[in-house]
Amino acid sequence: MHEERFDVVVIGGGHNGSTIAAYLAKSGLSVCVLEERPECGGGQENTEPRPGFRIDPHATYLYGGAAPGFEQLELWKYGFRMVYYQSMAGLVTQDGIAANLGGRWNKEVGVDSIKSLTGTDPQGAEALFLQNLGDNGQRDLLRSLFWTPPVPSEYELEPKDLPWWKVFRDLLPGFWTDRLVDMSFIDFLDEFISWEPLRCFESFAAWYCGAHPAWDGMLLPSLGGALLVGYSSGSPRGGMHTYAHAIIRCAMAHGARIITNASVGEIIVQNGRAVGVKLDDLASYPEKTIWADKAVISAVDVKQTFLKLVPRSHLDASFTQKVKDVSLKGGSLFVLSVICRELPKYHGNKDYFPEEVYPSCVAAPADNMEFFYTQTRDAYSHKKAPELTPEHLTMMICTHDVYDNTRCPEGYHILSPIYLEVPPPQYDVTGPEGINRHKEEITDAALKLLKSLAPNMDGANIVDVYLNTPYDSEFRNAGMSGGNWYGARQSEDQWFNMRPVAELGRYKTPIDSLYLCNHTSHPGGLCLMAVPYNLMHILIEDEIVEPKSWWYPSPWYMPPTKTGVGS
Amino acid sequence: MRTSFQAVPDTKLFDEFPKETTFDVVVVGGGPNGLIAGAYLSKAGLKTLVVEKRHEIGGGLATEETLFPGFYTNPHAIYHLMVDYIPVLKDFDLSTHGVTFIKPNIQTAQVFSDGSSLVFCQQIEDTKDSMAKFSPKDARNFGQLMRKWHKMVDGILAPGTYLPPLSPIDMIEALGRTEFGTEALRLTEMSPIEIIDENFTNDKIKTLMLYMSCMWGLNPNDSGLGFLVPLLIDRGLNKAQCYGGSHKLAGALSREIHKAGGLILDNSEVTNILIEDGHVAGVVCADDRVIKATAVLSSLPPPLTFGKLIDQSYVPDELKENAENWEWDPWSFLTVSVATKNKPIYNCDDPWVNDALMVVLGFDSYDQLIEHFNAVLSGKLTANGEMGGHVTLETTYDPTLPRVPGHEIGFIQCHVPNELEGGWDSHKAQAGNDLLKVWQSYTTNFENSSVVKKSIEDPKDIETRIASMVKGSIKHGDYNPLQMGVFRPHDSCVGGRSPIEGLYLCGASSYPGGLIIGGPGYIAANTLAEDLEIDKWWKLPNFVSKYKDIYLS
Ligand SMILES: Cc1cc2nc3c(=O)[nH]c(=O)nc-3n(C[C@H](O)[C@H](O)[C@H](O)COP(=O)(O)OP(=O)(O)OC[C@H]3O[C@@H](n4cnc5c(N)ncnc54)[C@H](O)[C@@H]3O)c2cc1C
Ligand SMILES: Cc1cc2nc3c(=O)[nH]c(=O)nc-3n(C[C@H](O)[C@H](O)[C@H](O)COP(=O)(O)OP(=O)(O)OC[C@H]3O[C@@H](n4cnc5c(N)ncnc54)[C@H](O)[C@@H]3O)c2cc1C
Repeated sequence: MHEERFDVVVIGGGHNGSTIAAYLAKSGLSVCVLEERPECGGGQENTEPRPGFRIDPHATYLYGGAAPGFEQLELWKYGFRMVYYQSMAGLVTQDGIAANLGGRWNKEVGVDSIKSLTGTDPQGAEALFLQNLGDNGQRDLLRSLFWTPPVPSEYELEPKDLPWWKVFRDLLPGFWTDRLVDMSFIDFLDEFISWEPLRCFESFAAWYCGAHPAWDGMLLPSLGGALLVGYSSGSPRGGMHTYAHAIIRCAMAHGARIITNASVGEIIVQNGRAVGVKLDDLASYPEKTIWADKAVISAVDVKQTFLKLVPRSHLDASFTQKVKDVSLKGGSLFVLSVICRELPKYHGNKDYFPEEVYPSCVAAPADNMEFFYTQTRDAYSHKKAPELTPEHLTMMICTHDVYDNTRCPEGYHILSPIYLEVPPPQYDVTGPEGINRHKEEITDAALKLLKSLAPNMDGANIVDVYLNTPYDSEFRNAGMSGGNWYGARQSEDQWFNMRPVAELGRYKTPIDSLYLCNHTSHPGGLCLMAVPYNLMHILIEDEIVEPKSWWYPSPWYMPPTKTGVGS
Repeated sequence: MRTSFQAVPDTKLFDEFPKETTFDVVVVGGGPNGLIAGAYLSKAGLKTLVVEKRHEIGGGLATEETLFPGFYTNPHAIYHLMVDYIPVLKDFDLSTHGVTFIKPNIQTAQVFSDGSSLVFCQQIEDTKDSMAKFSPKDARNFGQLMRKWHKMVDGILAPGTYLPPLSPIDMIEALGRTEFGTEALRLTEMSPIEIIDENFTNDKIKTLMLYMSCMWGLNPNDSGLGFLVPLLIDRGLNKAQCYGGSHKLAGALSREIHKAGGLILDNSEVTNILIEDGHVAGVVCADDRVIKATAVLSSLPPPLTFGKLIDQSYVPDELKENAENWEWDPWSFLTVSVATKNKPIYNCDDPWVNDALMVVLGFDSYDQLIEHFNAVLSGKLTANGEMGGHVTLETTYDPTLPRVPGHEIGFIQCHVPNELEGGWDSHKAQAGNDLLKVWQSYTTNFENSSVVKKSIEDPKDIETRIASMVKGSIKHGDYNPLQMGVFRPHDSCVGGRSPIEGLYLCGASSYPGGLIIGGPGYIAANTLAEDLEIDKWWKLPNFVSKYKDIYLS
């Protein structure tokens, strides 16, 4: 075997690893992606445990509609196709309300439904952002939040001068007050949304899409998460894995080498510089050492990178401790997939949920903020299995098949995923496998609750149930620490140039030529092609890559100043 | 097809794959054959699109997390019989994609209920050692027979896999030129039972020999395809498992296709092959996307290609008939896959059995096996209530499959009729559990409590996953003399060239047939390259040229 040598070696072929590989290969570099599993895609996967039925064990919606990557990588060339939904969201309460909140492509559904329930203009903040910002305004706000690399620390920006607040001020000068900067999303909801179930729904939406709504100073990142999902209001045809296919195919078309079943065991560091990687002995590749001339990019989580892959002898203890302390709280999901004959017919005003405008994601039950507080208390405390009683178990029930007929055969429906937030396995007082001991219990509680809200969800209707706990998710995908959809808590202390820790804020590391490209870096979880887009700015700064004219940087990008300390 | 209620956005978020596109070649179906054809043609500079119905390419080359969550299996093909020959492995340097085949010495074992066992190995002397326990004479015969048969495979049967078929008359003339050819012709006229009876005496040895001859669908009683017996026995001793899962091979081919500028479009069922002015013009997909092309290669069987996808007014009568009368495989598989906490250990006299790539269980005598095959052929699940089949512990040679460390993954599989009275739904659970019990009963330690995950798949499930395997037909159609050789699928489609201009056939229903042998896709790519008069960047493998020189010159 000849020596294996590439310009860049990427560890992990998940969403972010594949995307940076596509960017770099398109820029003319020789790139090799090493993926531990039989398929690339990481969190973007669809599996078919029962013939004909595709479930979504992790990612389910396209949040990345505003990503420059679609254009820059020309994903359309590689088969990318969307399915847009008539209605994205709905909410159901225990006391008998079913509200169709509609979505970007069919606003009337939502407006009519909520008007009839509340008698007022219901949309509050959502109306403000989705409608008043306009298409470009929305895109700019989202790009300033997610598709802008963290600002070098020498700029010492005031919070209100962070890119997203600048955009916000420009777009909505009348709405701007200094106060917003310190607010949490919940403060904001209290102020602008009067209908309690909608407040509860929005809180859950933010929690599942971005930052926890109670986190101070995170109003826009929180709200931005919810805006992201509304911006596309749909999913790739066939599920999220085909989005991964388009990205990987782009990388391959530009010559990237993709190797699956190739788990990386070590990053080789020589003289403080990352120069290659060693594969695990079991890897399905004849040569186990692979050299990188220009950079090693770790697209696996920060903890694995520094606590396992980089030999400890190259790191100082204070840094390692900070990495150990990165908090995983708040994104661990217990995922159910339910195959059924009929879609849930929720009690309450069913008229709003006919198949042709069926809300793809229903939050249920979402009566009032008490539901939200109970559940978050559970997920954030160091408990053993969640103490949720069925009455306080709010589920995000997702279904795609009414809009995308590739998901399951005629005559069936598939509710996949049904998400439940639970504590990260790592913080379970009975040990990380604790949650798995309560699998059946939690599943039973969830199904019982579903039946109480939608009486037709009984044994005769439900054909099969699959589930993955966050502990299972970690095993399935060694990158999903905590079975957590964003890898590390997205609170202000772990956001933007503090993410995951200040030393790593701009994707650079204490090891020369070693860069980070995983959702544990800014802007966090979701398949946005954002971490790689942002990282490209840094790789250009470092003269590792020089993309052609298809590339454009973020308008809010601030390069390090020559005199600055942060460069 | 079910309706879907998509919204049409008022704002374009980004470009998508166009509603109408033009390629040089469209391949229908991204199974092994479609991918092989696609890889050769795109590397030849043709703008090639492979259209696949599923979310994942590979067809029979699947490695998926069917034991969800955490355990990958190869739900379809696992035994790769032709890795020593299949041209695609050498023409493309697939090892650069990490494609590795493990071909263990201990290939196929059988355990009998009295605790005795047979172990057939790649190394013939090891096999003879095991046979000699029962019959020194058979062991000796076996050694000599395998020398002959291997030469027959090497010189005739393997090369013949990668060239268009000859008509029966030409075949007789060609093969008649050599001693091995003449022997192949003689065997053709014999049934598997006759061939085995002619060579072996011991009942147990005959049992395993027959299992290996017929497990891929030869009727044990029928003559006309006897030449396949040497091939299946020889290859049955040379099986390989793809490290990392069979899908690894599909992935590598996909990478070659994309590297050369081709594309795979998944989640796209082809619903129509377009014909304009009597010439193929492209395909239409389920989401109404139209892909124009000068040539279409279909890897689907005739009832789909000619019966469903093409406007009947363009289909010649003989092919309409071919589509209507096409015989599906008479039997299919029932498979029980499990993830277990420990490695099942067999209760038998030879520890090598525990590491065999395949272990046959449930049959104690030759007659019992024949009765069993006959029962299945006549539409029954078993002859007398007893089940048997073959087992593979996939993790023995591929430890990468379980995501949860410390577990084993394997399956037991048996031949079953593709339809059962009362429908498969009413039999599946019981039959699957009975089959699993057979496996357990031959071990010392395989209790229900060690099963962590289990799934049962019947012939209907096979079709649901892979629409080309109608009624669970793993080879897209029966192996009988009327559907083999030049008649597969029809003698107007030799070399994959159909009478409809621009339409080619490249799947398992075309010569030489099913399994991961890489023949149909390779042959069709060659034919199309010749018709389009493009430079072939590849050369015929040496073993094929040698055959051509001797038999076809
Ligand atoms: C339950 C759940 C629901 C979610 N829902 C959505 C959603 O609806 N929409 C959305 O956009 N996002 C969603 N996400 C988030 C999204 O899936 C992740 O943010 C995204 O996948 C992160 O991409 P990544 O490349 O950073 O990491 P990953 O996708 O985790 O990729 C890491 C890759 O590295 C591989 N790997 C790990 N260790 C090694 C090693 N040592 N050597 C080689 N390879 C290795 C892994 O196998 C994996 O493929 C969800 C996540 C979860 C868990
Ligand atoms: C349970 C099982 C076990 C097997 N074990 C082995 C084994 O161990 N060894 C071995 O060699 N062989 C084995 N086989 C057989 C082998 O898998 C097949 O013979 C082989 O895959 C045939 O290859 P193909 O490319 O011709 O067709 P296929 O593999 O059937 O591929 C055809 C492709 O076309 C797609 N398709 C179908 N309809 C459409 C449409 N309308 N539009 C677009 N795409 C479409 C399908 O989804 C599929 O991907 C097994 C098969 C099964 C089912």
